[in-house]
Amino acid sequence: MTLVPVTYKGGIYQHDTIIDLIEDLGGYIVQKHIIAAEVVLQCFVPRNDIELISRIAKPLFGEVTDSPLVGTEIAVVSMSLEIHHLPHPSCDFAEYARRIGAKTNMVSPARGPGKRISQLSDEERDVINEHDIAVLAFGNFESCIEYKWPALRRGIEVPIIVMGAPDTETLKRIIHPAAEGYVGNVGRFMRRGKTEEEIGILDKIVAEVTRVIEIKREEIAKDPLSVSPARLMDLIREHVPAIHDVTSPTPLTVQMEGLRVKLPYDTFAGDIREIEIEDGITVADVAGVVPSRMRDYILVKILPFSETNTVV
Amino acid sequence: MLAIEYFEVECPEPLGAAYYKQISNDVLLDHNLLRVISKLHVFIDPKIPVFVAVGTLKKITTIVRVRDFANVNPLGDKITLVISDETYLAPMLKIFWQKYGKDRVEQPDRFTVILYNTEADAREIEELIVADPSESLFKDLIYAFRLIAPEGFRVRSEKFSKERFSFVASEDTLAEDLNPLIREKFALIGEKL
Repeated sequence: MTLVPVTYKGGIYQHDTIIDLIEDLGGYIVQKHIIAAEVVLQCFVPRNDIELISRIAKPLFGEVTDSPLVGTEIAVVSMSLEIHHLPHPSCDFAEYARRIGAKTNMVSPARGPGKRISQLSDEERDVINEHDIAVLAFGNFESCIEYKWPALRRGIEVPIIVMGAPDTETLKRIIHPAAEGYVGNVGRFMRRGKTEEEIGILDKIVAEVTRVIEIKREEIAKDPLSVSPARLMDLIREHVPAIHDVTSPTPLTVQMEGLRVKLPYDTFAGDIREIEIEDGITVADVAGVVPSRMRDYILVKILPFSETNTVV
Repeated sequence: MLAIEYFEVECPEPLGAAYYKQISNDVLLDHNLLRVISKLHVFIDPKIPVFVAVGTLKKITTIVRVRDFANVNPLGDKITLVISDETYLAPMLKIFWQKYGKDRVEQPDRFTVILYNTEADAREIEELIVADPSESLFKDLIYAFRLIAPEGFRVRSEKFSKERFSFVASEDTLAEDLNPLIREKFALIGEKL
């Protein structure tokens, strides 16, 4: 059974029917938003059952759309949190990607701006590495991007997408060693993008992120994970009641190869390790439960089949 | 853009120049500073690296008096002021309190101020100077140029006078004598240092 990420949008009336249906089919709800009288569900559902869900949702005026970014956590790395770089264009993209299902976090190095003086600390590097993918928002000068790129990419192991003012071809030429994705024509600007062209750029970034995510998904599929992150999320929700008291928008953030649990590590790591998935296999058997560099959260890293020899 | 006589951004990278022209325009427009600048030349070279902005300022009388934002209506021993723009309400009230005392100044609602037994005539009150926005002009200009300049350029040298200004920034130590560079850029807009 292959689970695919989709977004369901529909009215609040009888939306429980859809939630029950998705769960009965073996799917998982990653996030549920209720906005006025509308419900948005970001979920994983079995590929073969999408049509069934669409059919049942039709009388309720619900629709199911593909959203490849559901279940991913993206780091949008802005060179600083000053007004020079925010809210445009970093927040523009972060917000846009959230609408289509990704969980985006803004990460900003303490000493990011500048050319010679730009640097990345070990904590910043580790935080970026906890995400599925990093989008680095660079500035307007190709000589600057060329100079500061090696210093900023050092130690980052997740795929990187480079955003900058020079066009995509120029970025490809100046970036050594190569990044996984490039989006040109989006540098530092200080106003809200209103024209069609400016908004179109956001779509280009999303398309590039999706392309890189798909490559990563294919790679994971070659050596599948021992347990699906969405399933683990459901189990933690069931066995660790404290998660329901967390006020973060996403107390459990699903990633491609694991999940972030927004509970203190010292108190809850043991409980999470001991959760039984099935037939006596516990979380500790199939995943590493490690402290996150982000606050005192817990990071669950699911091991691939080749390491555990089990798939549950 | 029409209000400004000369506005150029010079940069070895044409694309960077276009972006910085847009940024300069947006920032100056947002801070309402385009009306005070008559000529502006920005030079950026990321390779040195250096950011230079030179320009001339317009002479504008910006003193704000009570009559600019309020109607003054005397009636017997009280004077009623009807406020049309609240921006300078607070400094105006402060001046009234100081001049006439709090017991003689009353503000029944947001747009009305009543003065009792002040012995001042309406004309005198109309002419009261409430604020001079040009006092903070240099502060505003420096703030705006800090936003326009690349953020890493933190070593700065600014000179602002009533007629002209120069703003140089870099991430490295600045040259000891910046005058030749500034003079060269001033020459481009037809001005002398």
